[in-house]
Amino acid sequence: MEELLTRLAETSLAQWMRLSRWGYAIVNTLHVVGISLLIGAITALDLRLLGWRRELPLAALGRLLQAVAIGGLLLAITMGGLLFLADPAGYAAMTLFQLKLGLIGLAVVNAMLINLGPGLANSSPRRLRITGALSLALWLCALAAGRFLAFVG
Amino acid sequence: MRRQVSWLVAALGVLLLACTSAQAHHGWVGGETIEISGTVTAVRLGNPHGELTLEVEGEEWTVEVGQPWRNERAGLEEGDLAEGVAIRASGEHAGERLLKAEQLWIGEAHFVLYPGRI
Repeated sequence: MEELLTRLAETSLAQWMRLSRWGYAIVNTLHVVGISLLIGAITALDLRLLGWRRELPLAALGRLLQAVAIGGLLLAITMGGLLFLADPAGYAAMTLFQLKLGLIGLAVVNAMLINLGPGLANSSPRRLRITGALSLALWLCALAAGRFLAFVG
Repeated sequence: MRRQVSWLVAALGVLLLACTSAQAHHGWVGGETIEISGTVTAVRLGNPHGELTLEVEGEEWTVEVGQPWRNERAGLEEGDLAEGVAIRASGEHAGERLLKAEQLWIGEAHFVLYPGRI
């Protein structure tokens, strides 16, 4: 593991992330863009799952908001990977970073369980509420853990 | 249900506000300005900012320096911040043994990282 992290840090991409002024700033900005898209879309969908605006059709809302959320997540993960390269061993050693990855993993599993299972349109109101509440809590905690990385360690 | 959701949203909002006021800003936390001198025992330079470990009278201090462009602008060159180098650093006392350097000296040479703060 340590060797892998050291090797990662030695790649030219990692070196660029460590040294570049505007490159790092742009990657950082795109990371935030990804998170914004993800959190914005998923929060709206989760609130609908919790029972808000029940007159809006869930299947159609899900198609739109899940697509935006997945796009945002992929952008955030890609840019996050680049940010990680600036200090692989440092981030990997941070408990808060591990917690953040764990929360993201759980949030993704939560989303996949309902989508690969009954689907949004065929789930009971109770199941939708549980999924929505879990999703909201997990994604917001993941965001908070990520933001607080800058303030600890 | 609608009321429950409103409460949930309000509670989350309050939580977020509480978090942000507890940690107002990443950069500076309002600690007093102090000066320490010591020998560099470990170095990690690069984004998001560089970090030196400084041995100061038997204690290990962490000294945060700038990102590469800021260190370069201050006149620091490769090899200036390296293990074994004796430096004097002045900046904000941001944690128990944590200094956010605003300026530092290597011998007689003076390097200003944050011209707007000194």
